Amino acid sequence: MKKQPKQNDMNRPRHIKLSKGDIAFNIVNYTVFLLITLACIFPFYYLFINTISSNELVRLGRIQLYPREIHLENYVQVLKIDGIMDALFVSVARTVLGTLWTVAGCAFLGYLVTKQEMWLRKVWYRLIIITMYFSAGLIPWYMNLRNLGFLDNFWVYVIPGLVSPYNVILVKTFIEGLPPSLEESATLDGAGYVRVFVSVILPLITPILATLCIFSAVGQWNSFTDTMMLMPSGKNYTLQFLLYKYQREAQSLAALVRNTQDTNALANVATKQTSLSVQMTVAMVVTLPILCVYPFFQRFFVKGIMIGAVKG
Amino acid sequence: MKMNKRWLPLIAALLAVLMLLMPAAKLQVHSQIAPEKAAQFPASIAMHQVAAGNALPVAAEPALAAANLGQGYLLAGLALLVVAALAALVRKPGMLVASAAGTLTAALLLYTFAQQMSNVSNSLLFTLLLEVQAWIWIPLVCAIVQLVMVVVFILKEKDTLALDDKAWRKLGALMALLAVLCMLLPAHVVRAPQTITETPADAAAMTRSLTLWQEALGKETNLATVAAEQGVFTNVLSGDLAALEPYSGDATNISGLFVIQTVTTAPNAMLIAGAALLALAILLALIPKVDRWFPLCCQMLALVLVAASVLGVMTIGDGDMFTSATRQLSKLGLGKVTFAPMLMVLMTLAAALCGVMSVRTADDPYFINPIPEKRRNQVVAVLLVAVSLALMLAPGINYSFTKPGMNKVQSTASLSGAQAMVFSTPENILSPKSTQGKDLYSDTASKKGNMTADGVREIMSGMTRTYGIATWVCIAVTVAALALILMRKNKKAVVALLLSAAVLRAVTWLVVTLQMPKVIGSAAGTFALYGSMPTLVFGAFFAWFADQNELPKKYKLFLMMLPFLLAVFLFSYLPLYGWSYAFFNYQFGKPMSEQEFVGLKWFTELVTNQGHRDNIVRVMKNTFGMSGLGILTSWMPMAFAIFLNEIANVRFKKFVQIFTTLPNFISWALVFSFAMALFAMDTGIFSKFMLGIGAIDQPVAWLNSGEHIWLKMWGWGTWKGLGWGAIMYLAAISGIDQELYEAAQVDGAGRWAKIRYITLPGLLPTFFVLLMLSISNILSNGMDQYLAFQNSMNKNTIEVLDLYVYNITIASGGTTLYSFATSIGILKTVVSVTLLFTANFASKKLRGESIM
Repeated sequence: MKKQPKQNDMNRPRHIKLSKGDIAFNIVNYTVFLLITLACIFPFYYLFINTISSNELVRLGRIQLYPREIHLENYVQVLKIDGIMDALFVSVARTVLGTLWTVAGCAFLGYLVTKQEMWLRKVWYRLIIITMYFSAGLIPWYMNLRNLGFLDNFWVYVIPGLVSPYNVILVKTFIEGLPPSLEESATLDGAGYVRVFVSVILPLITPILATLCIFSAVGQWNSFTDTMMLMPSGKNYTLQFLLYKYQREAQSLAALVRNTQDTNALANVATKQTSLSVQMTVAMVVTLPILCVYPFFQRFFVKGIMIGAVKG
Repeated sequence: MKMNKRWLPLIAALLAVLMLLMPAAKLQVHSQIAPEKAAQFPASIAMHQVAAGNALPVAAEPALAAANLGQGYLLAGLALLVVAALAALVRKPGMLVASAAGTLTAALLLYTFAQQMSNVSNSLLFTLLLEVQAWIWIPLVCAIVQLVMVVVFILKEKDTLALDDKAWRKLGALMALLAVLCMLLPAHVVRAPQTITETPADAAAMTRSLTLWQEALGKETNLATVAAEQGVFTNVLSGDLAALEPYSGDATNISGLFVIQTVTTAPNAMLIAGAALLALAILLALIPKVDRWFPLCCQMLALVLVAASVLGVMTIGDGDMFTSATRQLSKLGLGKVTFAPMLMVLMTLAAALCGVMSVRTADDPYFINPIPEKRRNQVVAVLLVAVSLALMLAPGINYSFTKPGMNKVQSTASLSGAQAMVFSTPENILSPKSTQGKDLYSDTASKKGNMTADGVREIMSGMTRTYGIATWVCIAVTVAALALILMRKNKKAVVALLLSAAVLRAVTWLVVTLQMPKVIGSAAGTFALYGSMPTLVFGAFFAWFADQNELPKKYKLFLMMLPFLLAVFLFSYLPLYGWSYAFFNYQFGKPMSEQEFVGLKWFTELVTNQGHRDNIVRVMKNTFGMSGLGILTSWMPMAFAIFLNEIANVRFKKFVQIFTTLPNFISWALVFSFAMALFAMDTGIFSKFMLGIGAIDQPVAWLNSGEHIWLKMWGWGTWKGLGWGAIMYLAAISGIDQELYEAAQVDGAGRWAKIRYITLPGLLPTFFVLLMLSISNILSNGMDQYLAFQNSMNKNTIEVLDLYVYNITIASGGTTLYSFATSIGILKTVVSVTLLFTANFASKKLRGESIM
């Protein structure tokens, strides 16, 4: 730990010896950050070892720091629960379609609002941006979607997300930072707005689009309150909502557990499903996709938030 | 190097072949089977046994010989996969394409195999016997991986068939034709052995096939109908079926199939649409003048439709017991899916690929608009006007009929413009029916003041007359405008005519809805009625520019913008209309005109009504408490960033940054799962730890108690948001000029001095903006977190404003407080907007910069 700061140290000349105060500061600083990071990772790890360990030991509270009697039966059984696969499908569908829809919409709209020659451009732009600062409230929002026929309708996850003012600002700012000559030369070649957007602008704004994609996808994947309010007759449940439901309704979960148990006559105590194990495993199933894509996309959102920070 | 890569597909193929060693399904023996017979059933069957065709214990149960596990598909698929992988090794032009085609066919064969296995396992007969394992899908996955590799080779080495765009186009038409022809091949085949029952006629009646074409048209009958027509299936439980009966679990299952009476097979609209598109694609591809994008679009759409519908056709689920005889028998385990559906997908895919190639190989790959430039606006105008004419003829009015004095809608009916124009009213409008199908009105009025059937007839035919005359006028005006557009004359008159037609439509709508007597029910416009108005307006717009080559740029851009403005209007501005609920005693299901107006009652109740006031005070306390804790600690992300910046080890820094931002990306429902696990009363690590160090002497229900809930919520909020919030500051730190630090270094400034005099002042503007924004958001701290953590014990202290509004309305199921909740929402928005403007004003005064 003490030697670590000397490696990769670009800011400080190497020949200067660290003072005692510096060393003490470093020790404290590194320790605190290590603890914070551990606090962030540990819940993931804790849940994971609890889902792969013997359910009997979990029930007794004996799994705390490392897994014991590892088995994957929890995952196998959870994937068999009635409705899980449908929920997975709905979750994936809304994430993919919703993200594509939002990103495509905000990208094109962001491009359109940079066009000075548009009729009443400033009026429209302000009308769009100002929606960021007010909301009609829960009941009007709910009644509006209800009146538009979006209740119990899968497309409510996708269609209302077309315009997101914040994203439009991000794209607009980004496009305005591009050299205008590229677009001009394409226009001189006789390309229309759509073709300029598709073949000139779109390839150039991929960094910001990647950021929007991640934010939108994570938002779609994580949302559960909209399912709760807008799907009263139990259609189009998402994984997140099922998780929330399982947390609330211990009883229905117990029934589910019994049902899955029936087909599994050989189940022993270690792999027998409990409502706790099902709940934790569903949570893990919901987390895993995020954990899988997270490392790849981490760099994009750092870049994206910097673009956002410029606008402030 | 290249040679090495060419081996990769072979690995995938061999991996698929290796899957032969894996288990295909578990066999579970039903309890009704005698133990000595049960002993002959293996516990599981392997894929190679399926391939060899000796997977099922036919010796123990001869009737099982009828079951088809799709061995042929498996063998053919694997063989073709290996051959295709070997073909990829041959370095000759065209070999890669051939390899890709082979791999694709192999993939489809392997899919058919896996689907057949799944169908049989789901079948009635094997419900308890065969539990399919995921391994049967792995060969398909291998094939797809191999396909991707070969396609990558093709793209890298530019190995294509040397055809020009016209040849590709013709080839695409041929492939589409073959795809359509595939529909004539049988998709499901049922072969019943002679011994299946004692009567040979039964087996003959069971042996059948179902083509995709029949599937599309829904031309199938259920077994009960077959039995009635041919006099078969009188005693199905006499031969092998009787022997198989025990496996089907419920003793009536097999015989039950033959008596299902109410079966209707709906036509498969998707498949029909797919076939129609393929036909259209052939037609368009053969007309040289049509741009190549048109057949391509048809082929692509057809591919989507065909693939989706064919996958459905191939899958036999539990519900299919009730769809068609062929599927019913397949559920028995007697049928198999043929390769024809997948062949159709293959051909459609090939057609689509040919379409793509025809565009790619063309000299100018862009879209060539067949309409001459100076005619385009005119064509658009004509099309729009034609659409509006069609919409005028379509059903324009929806009637909902209620019982006199009641709100509940008893029946609905629609009146089309075409019907109204010949003044004929449908019978279900003239004499409205109740939900039970009885006439709502009789010849004599039931109560004083109620209508008689004749009275209603007269009123309703009067309505038709009104709507008919209005539609006649509208259509006359529009047709006149259309004629003028076609003659390219007097655009001012055209615009005037079209706009007046639009106004006429609006007036018609108003007259009809107002004319409808409330005692009978209500009348509303349909989508066609509303839709005709913007269509007419747009028609007028394009007609105005009909003599110009292009629309002026400013309007063109505006037209592109319009869909987005519509979305913003629908989802952000239209809800504001709901604010009117706050001034009514809003009740569900009633139109706004019948709601009771109560003025500012709900707003005054906030203060005067003791119960409401207490709740609001409690909820506001929670809201301010938890938002306040957040604002008081909003410096923490900044401190985090500053100290993280002091860490010199880049790797450690990155490690910290990656993992502290991770919690931001999980939902609050998941956070609650973590909390449930970590803080479980007797099993959670937190309880164990506290017990271990002696801080508590008996388990505490951490999550259920309502104590310190603000602090707990703040803790979770910080856990989730700290690392994420720091990113903004880290970005700001990286924007600070490095020379400042170097200069300070020279002046002998230490670590703390640099933080104090350089970093901190550099970050304060960002901090200030975020602080202002969070102050203006003080009332809206979201509800996800509190919803996930809320329970009956902590409800009093966790309920924030947003959650409270949800709890008293949608969650409680009642609708009495909708108006009250709306009034809270209005106040909240007003306060938030005021705070935002104040913060913005303060920011302008203090820093000379606006935050919005």
